[in-house]
Amino acid sequence: MGAISYLLRKNLKNEILDTLRHPLKLGVYVFVAVSMLYGAVAGFTAGGSGQGIADRLGDTAALQILSGGYLAILFFISIPVLLKGLSSGTSFFSLCDVNNMFVAPISKRRLLLYGIGRQLATMVVLVITFSAYGGMLITMFRLTALQTFLLISGIILMLTLVQLITLMIFCLASCHPVRARVIRYMIYAEAFFAVVAVIAYIFTHQFGQETICNAVSQPLLEYIPFIGWMHALVFGIINNDLWRIVLSSAALVLLAVAALVIFLRTDLDFFEDVLSRAESYHEFRESIREGKVSDSMMMGDREIKLRKKGVRKGEGASAIFFKHLLEGSRRSRFMFFNINTIVLLFVAFVIGFGVTQAIPGSNRTIIYLSTAVICSYVQFFFSASGDWVKELTKPYIYLIPDGAVKKLIMASATGLIKPYTDGIITFGLLGIVFGGNIFDIISAAIAYGSFGTLYISANILAQRITGLESSGGVFITFYMSLIVAVMIPGIAAGIVVLSTFAGSLGYMATTLIAVPVLVWNIFISFIIFFACRNLLNNTE
Amino acid sequence: MLNVSHLTKKYHRFTANENLTFMVADGETAVLAGPNGAGKSTAIKCIAGLLRFEGEIEICGFKNKSREAKQILGYVPEIPAPFELLTVWEHMEFIARAYRLTDWEDRARELVRRMELTDKKDKLGMELSKGMQQKISICCALLPRPRAVLFDEPLVGLDPHAIKELKAMLGEMKKDGTTIIISTHMLESVEDIWDRVFIMMNGRIEAERERKKVEESGENLEELFFSITEKNREDKD
Repeated sequence: MGAISYLLRKNLKNEILDTLRHPLKLGVYVFVAVSMLYGAVAGFTAGGSGQGIADRLGDTAALQILSGGYLAILFFISIPVLLKGLSSGTSFFSLCDVNNMFVAPISKRRLLLYGIGRQLATMVVLVITFSAYGGMLITMFRLTALQTFLLISGIILMLTLVQLITLMIFCLASCHPVRARVIRYMIYAEAFFAVVAVIAYIFTHQFGQETICNAVSQPLLEYIPFIGWMHALVFGIINNDLWRIVLSSAALVLLAVAALVIFLRTDLDFFEDVLSRAESYHEFRESIREGKVSDSMMMGDREIKLRKKGVRKGEGASAIFFKHLLEGSRRSRFMFFNINTIVLLFVAFVIGFGVTQAIPGSNRTIIYLSTAVICSYVQFFFSASGDWVKELTKPYIYLIPDGAVKKLIMASATGLIKPYTDGIITFGLLGIVFGGNIFDIISAAIAYGSFGTLYISANILAQRITGLESSGGVFITFYMSLIVAVMIPGIAAGIVVLSTFAGSLGYMATTLIAVPVLVWNIFISFIIFFACRNLLNNTE
Repeated sequence: MLNVSHLTKKYHRFTANENLTFMVADGETAVLAGPNGAGKSTAIKCIAGLLRFEGEIEICGFKNKSREAKQILGYVPEIPAPFELLTVWEHMEFIARAYRLTDWEDRARELVRRMELTDKKDKLGMELSKGMQQKISICCALLPRPRAVLFDEPLVGLDPHAIKELKAMLGEMKKDGTTIIISTHMLESVEDIWDRVFIMMNGRIEAERERKKVEESGENLEELFFSITEKNREDKD
């Protein structure tokens, strides 16, 4: 274990030294850590009182919703990893591990322990990150700190277990196409069983809130191998159900041991597969590090048909924009209408129906206001990277003889347009279905779009300030904090305008808030664009 | 003409280039030679305007980061980076539009033909091998008929035909009065084409020689290179 422990020690030491040598990086880490700690402590100390789900629906319903949501999260973090692992093995090892350690006289068993150890270290970081959300769970579901800790630990444990299962199914399926197919179907069956069980319950009972809560938390779901078992273990502890705890933990331990034994007993030349996985993961990670999420990585083996050829329009900086339009049309036939639009429509209509059910006969303006607020929040997760980020990784944008601001705006243009088209589609359809004031619909759509502009400009500003990779956890946390700081004046202005004119124009509250918000968002975004024009002066 | 004056590039405490001063005349082919880590690529990137630096760099009398300089500068990076969703021909069109070129099609066709990409002109960037991607980079850099061109290890990954063609192109550009800088540590690859060599070590230019003088002294490029770099190492030891 000498070489491995030496490697671990040196890695840890150099990571710490590197952080200490970069004051800005250290500052950002400290800032993020303090923010997370504050969030967690504030939530834990505030306790379960407030306006959470438990306060509105009662403790039982809240726990059922939590149970269903938790199961969905367990599915979400397991199934894609298992399917991926079925064909390509595990991500325990990095490329430098493979290149340096797999060729060294170190036993497979020790290599595996090293891989799992590294994975566990990553999990520790995840535990800390997730704990920041603990406060929110406490407030919303009136949980205790211990229960919150259990929920988070269950997720971490699940992530580790999934890696072990991946190893096992990889050993079983490698070079056995029929077995691989059977395992694939078994994985699909897990998800299928859960969906069918929930739908069947709803159809066999009287439709309503109680039925939905019962459906997503029915005991049957806990029989689903390992995902259901993990759920049973966590909720068994929360509910002090000894048999659930014993049975589920026994099943999970057996599965983990079986996975390890199969992996260690299988005389499999897994190095080649791990190498292939490590190489592609390395390439992906390096690309992410450089902010370069390549199209070939994201699109996999999909064949692209060249329906339209040529950039066709644009001169100087604007050629970048028309190139992005061409590239976008090749990524998807409906360039500005994609999965994000569908998610947004779904969210918007859920809110729309939710608000009309919850407050019958209420003024329609509340639909557009609440939808605009929640959809703008959801939009943040769609806007992490765009065409402009990819453009910065290639030399051409720096070399093109045109103005820096113009190049920056043109490179961001497709990303700037997308939220406005999403906003028009979503709020337009909401307007058709729910009716209401036309000014509310238009202002909500444009305000939603203006948040896209704000997110892109804040992303540019965050990159300009930190110089960090655009997808790292630290960067994203800093970027989020920056967004909050930048958007506050606009929201404050909106609230002031609303409170001033609420008496005479209260029926169009959305417009009263949205107009100052969108004016501010666009104003501050263009200030940021102008201030950050030097981003294109060099690649650093 | 390219003028580099007191170019210094630092990464925190590490100095990648220290006080480089040199000039390359119109129609001259200069080679930045040196072992790995000598600072050649950093210098090339500074000249291309991709990095921050101290000092001054002028391309045909224009500051290197000015729009005028960009209009007349070509750059072939060490690692090719084509647009994955653009075809070979669309790369040409994009460059023509970005540099506001007129009547560029014949020139583009000629470049694509010489780099043997004609039958690949409808292939996407992501479908090309590394060597072909390098060929696109060369075509993109040369399409605007730049008056100064920077090549960072241009021959790596090219097939023999492309190497031959590129050398021929370099000869033609030289005749047209184009300033050429090639960064390489593969000396044999530039043996036939260099006019002036800057031998770099540890971020500094250790020696500058003209071809005529080297040939008069009976030396060749490789001997010169080793006499300087090995001597430098011995002095250090």
